[in-house]
Amino acid sequence: MKRIYKFSFGSLLMLFTLSLVFQSCTKDFEDMNTDPYGVTDEQMQADFKIVGEPFKQALQNIYSFDPVWVFQLQQNLIGDVYGGYMMPPTPFRGNINNMTYFLVNGWNQFPWSVAYNDVMAPMAAVDRKAEQFPDFKAWAKIVRVEAMHRLSDIHGPIIYTHYGEVNDDGSIDYDCQKDAYDAFFKDLEDAINTLTPYAQGDSIRRFTNFDLVYGGDFEKWVKFANSLRLRLAIRIANVDPALAKAEAEKSINHPIGVFEDNGDNFLVRSDAGFGHPLNTINNAWNDVRMNANMESILKGYNDPRMAKFFQPSVANGEFLGIREGIDIAAKSEYQDAASKLANFGDVQLMTCAEVYFLRAEGALRGWNMGGSAQDFYEMGVTKSFEQHGAGDAAAYLADETSTPADYNDPVHPENSITAVETATIKWNSGSSLDANLDQIITQKWIAMYPDGQEAWSEFRRTGFPKQFPMKVNNSGGTIPDGTFIKRVNFVEPEYQTNANGVAKAVQCLGGPDTGGTPLWWDVDNK
Amino acid sequence: MKKTLLVMLLFILGSAGALFAQNVITGVVTSGEDGSTMPGVNVVVKGTTTGTTTDMNGAYTLTVPNGSKSLEFSFIGFNTITVDINGKSTINVVMQPGNLNLDEVVVTALGISKEKKSLAYSTQQVNADELTSIKEVNPINALNGKVAGMTINQSASGTGGSTRITLRGNKSTRNNQPLYVVDGVPMLNYSTQQPGSVWGGTNANGSPGVDGGDAISNINPEDIENISVLKGATAAALYGSQAANGVIMITTKKGKDGVTDINFSSNFTFENPITIPEMQYGYGQTADGALDSWGDKLGSDAPDHVKDFYQTGTTWINSLSFSGGNQKAQTYVSYANTSSKGIVPENKFNRHNLDLKETANFFDGKMQVIANINLLHQKTNNRPVTGLYWNPLTGLYLFPRGKDFNSYKENFEVWDPNRFLNAQNWFADSDKQQNPYWIINRNQMTSFRDRVYAMVSVSYQITDHLKIIGRGNVDKSWDKYELKAYATTQATLANTNGRYILQNTEGSQTYGDLLLNYDYHSENWYISANLGTSIRDEQIYGTYFDPFPGNLRIANVFSVQNFLQPGATISQSLYRKQLQSVYASAQFGWNSMVYVDVTGRNDWSSTLPDQSYFYPSLGVSFVASELIKADWLNFLKIRGSYAMVGNDVDPYVANMLNYSVTSSGTVTNTVGLIPGTELKPELSKSWEIGVDMRTLSGRLNLDLTYYNNNTENQFIMIAAPQGSGLKSYLVNAGKIQNKGIEAMLEIVPVETKAVRWSAMFNFTKNTNTVKELHESLSDGIYYITPPDVNNYAMAITEGGSFGDLYGKRFARNDDGKVIVDADGKPMAEAGGLGYVGNPNPDFMLGFNNIVNVGDFTFRVLIDGRFGGDVMSITQAMNDKYGVSLTSADDRNNGGVDFDAVYEDGTPVAGKLDAQSFYTTVGGRDGITEYYVYDATNVRLREFSAGYNFRLKSKIVKSLRLSLVGRNLFFFYLKAPYDPDLAMSTATGLQGVDAYSIPTTRSFGLNLAIKF
Repeated sequence: MKRIYKFSFGSLLMLFTLSLVFQSCTKDFEDMNTDPYGVTDEQMQADFKIVGEPFKQALQNIYSFDPVWVFQLQQNLIGDVYGGYMMPPTPFRGNINNMTYFLVNGWNQFPWSVAYNDVMAPMAAVDRKAEQFPDFKAWAKIVRVEAMHRLSDIHGPIIYTHYGEVNDDGSIDYDCQKDAYDAFFKDLEDAINTLTPYAQGDSIRRFTNFDLVYGGDFEKWVKFANSLRLRLAIRIANVDPALAKAEAEKSINHPIGVFEDNGDNFLVRSDAGFGHPLNTINNAWNDVRMNANMESILKGYNDPRMAKFFQPSVANGEFLGIREGIDIAAKSEYQDAASKLANFGDVQLMTCAEVYFLRAEGALRGWNMGGSAQDFYEMGVTKSFEQHGAGDAAAYLADETSTPADYNDPVHPENSITAVETATIKWNSGSSLDANLDQIITQKWIAMYPDGQEAWSEFRRTGFPKQFPMKVNNSGGTIPDGTFIKRVNFVEPEYQTNANGVAKAVQCLGGPDTGGTPLWWDVDNK
Repeated sequence: MKKTLLVMLLFILGSAGALFAQNVITGVVTSGEDGSTMPGVNVVVKGTTTGTTTDMNGAYTLTVPNGSKSLEFSFIGFNTITVDINGKSTINVVMQPGNLNLDEVVVTALGISKEKKSLAYSTQQVNADELTSIKEVNPINALNGKVAGMTINQSASGTGGSTRITLRGNKSTRNNQPLYVVDGVPMLNYSTQQPGSVWGGTNANGSPGVDGGDAISNINPEDIENISVLKGATAAALYGSQAANGVIMITTKKGKDGVTDINFSSNFTFENPITIPEMQYGYGQTADGALDSWGDKLGSDAPDHVKDFYQTGTTWINSLSFSGGNQKAQTYVSYANTSSKGIVPENKFNRHNLDLKETANFFDGKMQVIANINLLHQKTNNRPVTGLYWNPLTGLYLFPRGKDFNSYKENFEVWDPNRFLNAQNWFADSDKQQNPYWIINRNQMTSFRDRVYAMVSVSYQITDHLKIIGRGNVDKSWDKYELKAYATTQATLANTNGRYILQNTEGSQTYGDLLLNYDYHSENWYISANLGTSIRDEQIYGTYFDPFPGNLRIANVFSVQNFLQPGATISQSLYRKQLQSVYASAQFGWNSMVYVDVTGRNDWSSTLPDQSYFYPSLGVSFVASELIKADWLNFLKIRGSYAMVGNDVDPYVANMLNYSVTSSGTVTNTVGLIPGTELKPELSKSWEIGVDMRTLSGRLNLDLTYYNNNTENQFIMIAAPQGSGLKSYLVNAGKIQNKGIEAMLEIVPVETKAVRWSAMFNFTKNTNTVKELHESLSDGIYYITPPDVNNYAMAITEGGSFGDLYGKRFARNDDGKVIVDADGKPMAEAGGLGYVGNPNPDFMLGFNNIVNVGDFTFRVLIDGRFGGDVMSITQAMNDKYGVSLTSADDRNNGGVDFDAVYEDGTPVAGKLDAQSFYTTVGGRDGITEYYVYDATNVRLREFSAGYNFRLKSKIVKSLRLSLVGRNLFFFYLKAPYDPDLAMSTATGLQGVDAYSIPTTRSFGLNLAIKF
């Protein structure tokens, strides 16, 4: 750095002369002001990482691996409980919390923030950079739909088609849930159309290095997209039966089709080697245990999957659950009395068993699903047994007497209750649609464990399997006594940063922004 | 004009002649107080650097260049005297103890000394005596209550902890700490870490809330000659963007010509806690296994295990310095050792300081070279943490009464045959509390710091009027912080095999400047002009290793290679900033009556590569006492000034990358600018006016300043609507105003031959108003510490003032009455947190007294802060768990007297059940509005009684022994903790306490010997 000094006393003009000299010294500033430990776009070009790496971030955050407390708030203290699978023994916030229908805003903003910051943002980055990679763009669409339908099933309206479009007033428009679902179907259709030729041809598997699910297998991704479309079609079966039927049949009729084997299952592994987040919550924190509904059904059915899903309680060696919506005075009451969960491996977001149950329901509704409801029902159970190494399902499927068991609270007997779900296992041919649906959904519910988010959605849509009622309701009347929670209110940061957007979203919700307002697809004509 | 030319000519001839014609002057300096001779008095040829100091007998010999006109004698605490030479070869003077100090010279920006009377702004200088008579390990804490306009909040982390200083209020959303300058050169001041939330640490993975220390705490108080505080923007304008928050100038000691001194001082103090929360020991555990104490009344009170836990702390500060020299060269060498044992067992602190300063004069004093090397080695064991995690105090305070604490104390670990290791023994499994003895023994934290500060300064007197100074320094520090958490540490905090955090930080600063100084005096005129340029490069490099949330392979092996991969957090960071500047200043004085001061500075910061920015300042002062001659009025000055100062942004924010890589994968960046905007520097515009008055021969002196500071373009990160594609927007926004009054009133009520009492009042009142914030903050709130699951947040709010506290509030009806539900439990306001108070004091008052009675010296400092609000999460938790005294009092009382109504509006009759009341209102996430307290406090901050022994020794020149005490007691305290203690010395987390260690009272002895 070379500087030349000439001085004339007291002359401020000097400053400007010197400033010219200085300009030449500041040319390193650009380099200096670049974080040497960040990653530049240029560096990301190598090995297609600029289009590939964001997928890892997105895939690991549909169901967040890390930090674990984020997952706890994203799903474990919402869907996993409301779906009837799990229940924390911990009386967080003096038992005034989600489990007693006091919706904790500080917690419930996480499904939203994870979806936007860790799925939508990286997928948008792919969109910006993947002009010459239509396969990556299609892939991003599938990942986005999988993550965002879950978010929509929590809140209802979400920001999807208007993502990244900031209005003049700084707000961003929501999609009503119907519009979001339309967009999901459209995106899946596009993705399937784009990827099918790749799957059928002999294309280079460019996803391989980034795909934490199928190792770059195009065909599997198309199967998943078709299966996901089937799931979404069934979800809207009550509210828009015509569209539902059309979309469902498109998937079944597609040459690559839907999941048929456990090898097709959508299981996400962690790129960074994180274990399943439930393992930490269950073992290290002791913040989750078996839900009483699980105990009632698996116990009543003498279901061999019980021991695959849960561990006998430390206190008395039995499989015991905790009822949701009760008074818990201290964590110590149920921590050892109730059953821990089993240990999990990869994060399971969709299985072939679920797909068979979806097809069973479609068939029950008279759609062309390529088979009968009973066959698909039995396939679903069989595949689930196979998946969990629970032995031969034939005897189980033949059981026409077992029904869910009464629940006996090991700590507070006043919480004990007789069984509310009454479905039997053996296919009840010739009975009402409702009774068969009860069977299908109850078995699907078992098979989808531990993904409580889906279980909760299907419970809201169908009312099955029936759950034990809430004894304590701290919703302040927004969720009427005797009913179950319908949704989670819009997140607080949106009210702060996108007030106009939320205001419009509330309008299309069709009711107040509380946990008591049912979603668009949650209608009563089953 | 002719005369002026003649004088100039004489000066030039004089300096030319100096090489061959010289006179020798000798003399003795005595004190007018008691007639004793005065060693160490500065004697200089006025207007030059030629000078010496008197020896131990008060005598001096000085060779003066021919043509020298007068000698100037100065000594701290005495009035400076100027005596004309007039060809005399012996000049004896009698110096009078001074209150007037009219010719006091103070150090101003860039190390330029100026006559205080000429300044157009307020500065305050604190001399060594104030810093060392009642010694603090961190010298800046000794300024508490002594400087108007300065707010000091010590971190609640015991000895060696950092300190948060604000001058004239909070202005910036990022950093409000002043710039520290040592001998004219900026110091690199940073903290390796600070607590960030009520939990403790800043990161989500539950790390401890540790104070990483700061730079100023590394200085040996004995090395400081004086501290000058440049409070306002005008005073600091020459430092440009580094000094937007004011400057603290430290001048260190150097050797003196003709004096050889060896100083030894030893300071020993005991510390004990004075603000332990009030607790109950009469009601037992709720039920076996429960975490709280809402159970039955115990047969007899449980023992006070809390008091027994704390130990008496001790602090030794020993220092030794050698100083000496002749006319050619002077040397100063000092060594100090500080060793302290905290009030929490296993907390230890040890510091070594070594300082070497060499001054050499060449070419007959025309050239002066100063070199200074300062070394520091410091080790801290278990510096106390704040927050709910890793804190021994949570388990200690919340321990259910009636259970046997001693069994957990003695057996904090027990053999686990299943794991073949010692496992934590505690009655509960809760992230918020572990066995306190497990924490202090098995969650050990160690921090090391080494620091080298080396500086060289060369000045050359080119002509009588023109001087050039070049300075450079390297300031480098190495920090190492380790946490070793053994297996069976609670699962939220560590994985099953334990946790090992290793954090290394390496900070370095290189600085260089060149300053050309022109001085001209004539009978009527005085001109001083400076032109300079500087470059400052800061780099703070850090590495961080933490297996969590992953695990260690082998339990209790604390090494990075033992991390079970993947799953660990490993990161590397560099904070890099370079600032290049040119500046100029000019001061014009006329007849010692009117002074005009102009400065200008242009900065180029690497953080804003495409911009440069210019800041001007202008000051005028008028010495009215030159016109109004009255016996009682010794000095009267009216001054006013205006300045603009900027503050650049953080590194890299103006150049955000799209991706970053972490140990858990590539992450897409979601922080950015609002499209179409760019970042600008923060800008402070301020003006001040003031009056300085000395009356009644210095027995009544007043300094009064009114200032007004407006800071705009605060750099903030605001939440973006997440549907925008970004999580956060970076914006320049807002306008924060600080205005206030500072007053220093010094009175000498008693002044006789034997007794002298001087009293100094320091008054500070600052009003902070947030005029505007970003329009996209729809509710007008910007969180500095955002709300998390705990009901505390700190924010700036449009229309509010900096640091507003937010908490959960009561639900109230239209009449403002709190509503309770059918069970009598108070209900919380719906929605998020609401405003509950502001921690900044309305005003502060310091009352500092020095009384000399013969050879006794007494110092008494009473310090008060009035107004402001603080929140205590400690009290809220203690209430909820039923361990607070209040909870027992209310149980004894049959319930809580609380004015409230039911939802239908009927008033609550009688008392509310204590347990359901406190379990609803209390806790970290309860109705925290209830736990906001008036922060007003008044304390006896310092007391000392010293005696100067008159020794007839040839070896010992002086010996002083003092009894010293600090924080002796509170005259008034409403909050359940000391509101002056800060959980964090960063910008956020103010006005709240979550299990910080109590404030300590310290008392002991101070011995100072001079050989």
